[in-house]
Amino acid sequence: MSIVTKFTVRRAEITVAVVLALCSLALMYKSAQNRITWSAEENMGAGFLPFYLSLGMFICTVITITKFILKKSPQSTNNEPFIDAVAFKFVSVTIISLVVLVFAIGYLGIYFSLIFFLAFYLRYFSEKSNSFILNFSITTPILTFLFFEWLLKIPLPQGISEPLFYPVYDVMYGSSSLFMIWIYIIVTVLSPSALVFLANRFIK
Amino acid sequence: METFALLLQGMATSFELLNLGLLIFGCLIGLFVGAMPGLGSVNGVAILIPITFIVPPTAAIIFLAAVYYGAMYGGAISSVMLGIPGASTAVATVFDGRPLAVKGEAMTALTAAAVGSFVGGTVSVILFTLFAPPLAEVALRFNAPETFALMVMAFATFVGLGGDDIPKTIFSILIGLVLSTIGLDLITGKPRLIFFGIPGFLHGINFLVLAIGIYGIGEMLWTLEETKGKVQMSKLSVNMKEVGRAFSALKKTIMAMNIGSFLGFFVGILPAAGATPASLMSYGITKQLSRNSKEFGSGVPAGVVAPECANNSASTGSMLPMLTLGIPGSPTTAILLGGMILWGLTPGPLLFTQQPEFVWGLIGSLYIANFFTLVLNIALIPAFLMVLRIPFAILAPVIFVLCVTGGYAPTQSLHDVWLMLLFGFGGYMLRKLDYPVAPAVLSIVLGPLAEKAMRQSLILSDGSMGIFFDFSSKPIAAVIMYIAIVLLIMPAFGPIYRKFFKKA
Repeated sequence: MSIVTKFTVRRAEITVAVVLALCSLALMYKSAQNRITWSAEENMGAGFLPFYLSLGMFICTVITITKFILKKSPQSTNNEPFIDAVAFKFVSVTIISLVVLVFAIGYLGIYFSLIFFLAFYLRYFSEKSNSFILNFSITTPILTFLFFEWLLKIPLPQGISEPLFYPVYDVMYGSSSLFMIWIYIIVTVLSPSALVFLANRFIK
Repeated sequence: METFALLLQGMATSFELLNLGLLIFGCLIGLFVGAMPGLGSVNGVAILIPITFIVPPTAAIIFLAAVYYGAMYGGAISSVMLGIPGASTAVATVFDGRPLAVKGEAMTALTAAAVGSFVGGTVSVILFTLFAPPLAEVALRFNAPETFALMVMAFATFVGLGGDDIPKTIFSILIGLVLSTIGLDLITGKPRLIFFGIPGFLHGINFLVLAIGIYGIGEMLWTLEETKGKVQMSKLSVNMKEVGRAFSALKKTIMAMNIGSFLGFFVGILPAAGATPASLMSYGITKQLSRNSKEFGSGVPAGVVAPECANNSASTGSMLPMLTLGIPGSPTTAILLGGMILWGLTPGPLLFTQQPEFVWGLIGSLYIANFFTLVLNIALIPAFLMVLRIPFAILAPVIFVLCVTGGYAPTQSLHDVWLMLLFGFGGYMLRKLDYPVAPAVLSIVLGPLAEKAMRQSLILSDGSMGIFFDFSSKPIAAVIMYIAIVLLIMPAFGPIYRKFFKKA
């Protein structure tokens, strides 16, 4: 029996309830760093609401734990696995790849990180050809760039790849020649197709 | 008469080029979002809200309302063809829609669903037009105590009518409220709950971060686990004969249409209810009242019409308290309400007087969206079936890209993307253990408004909580507050009632 199947719904219920109880206590402690008193004479302290709301959370988790001990909740008697092995693979790989993606965004920037994320994810879970995966992984960040930076004018994080985008911004904001605009269009439109062509030739 | 003139003006607003384009685009996206298993109106609206910043608020709300509306129609497609509800709102559609498809009558089921949605949508939008202005007029007399009492009632409805585990529901409400207190205190200006001194917490937690986390990342994890990317689609033959046969089968579903439309609307108004319980209740009542109730579950068109009428009707109904009182009637409207705040509007009855173009543009657009969605739905059924064949392993990373960019765009802070991931994973775990997540989203949207109303009321009363319960000075607030208390203690009587009932 693997670790995954040993982790039953019953165990998950009590583990999560205890973690939430500890989080509630931490929130109460953090709230208490501000004044948590309130009376008719003085205004409500900044910590009053978060403190008592967190106390409410703590009481709820204590009730959940009590129901678990008394076996009054459906989860407390459920000895089925919390997640089956196949689903665990799907979920855990997804979570890990998302965490790596967000880490990578901070360094590589969002566009290059997305290329690696999409390529990995599709390669791992889908049965699509390499050329499709390459095309998809490159086109999606290009469309994301055009949509956010050009249409919405919202700059997304670019990390160390930022200097690579300076010529593109020159084109977008008109300080470059018409020649450069054409170069830009050719590069953005044709590069994925060229890569797909190369991929078809050289990758199995 | 004045209402009629305003409605016509609203319809004219919807027909402006930008608004009409966004309306049709929104209907299409909504149909797509609704049809995909694992994605519903709430996911679509949460993920798409960040892209509405480039258009005026009226166009933005028309677009998002069309997504909401379209998703209600679209949910039936996967319920019938795959046997998996496209969204929780279409769960009841599976009961009879899937057996019809298995019998080879998928077209009958899909037509019944589309026509049912249209009838439900039309009835509810007429009721909406009739009820909204008088309700807004009453709500105009509301001050801070009444507003706070209303918010408490919204939270209490989740406890009283939500049907989930009570401590877990209350926990969900409270965690949403605690998250909404993070940042600077609105009266004293002191920083609250700034964990590890991270400056990102100073601007608070945007409701979108929680909404996209739970309804984007969390929902995708949930769906990946449920489907593992494998689905079985029914066969469908589309021809005029099939469509004609489907329409003739609808003659026997008038009662289901009435029950679904009216019940759906009034259930939709309740904050904890929304479209999912409305459709389940309509299905149950139609089945009980039907002469051939035993045939329900084996594939009868009335079993598809009732829930589809109800979910569309409820989606419109849930917008009524959002627009008139400033409290949402469903998780999707909670996100729309948060969107209004982001667009610089103040949700509530003042919108009717200060932003009539916004309000009536939205109401007018509902009539038009209803018509367009019906046409697009029936015309594009083959296209949606193609979309349903997209493997989830391809759709999921696209949704993740939208979530990450959508989580980053509003505040342009990577800190929020980390939080979104955390909420997504946390929401997924909690949902697996039957913690309801919708109350948390409602609370984070309503939290700052409730806190402001409460503290203003307490300043008015020199710190006395009696202001919320005093029939002589604040009768409306007191009535609402006592209703909220009844709702809160109602679940406690459930076991007592059951005990008594068993003995009897």
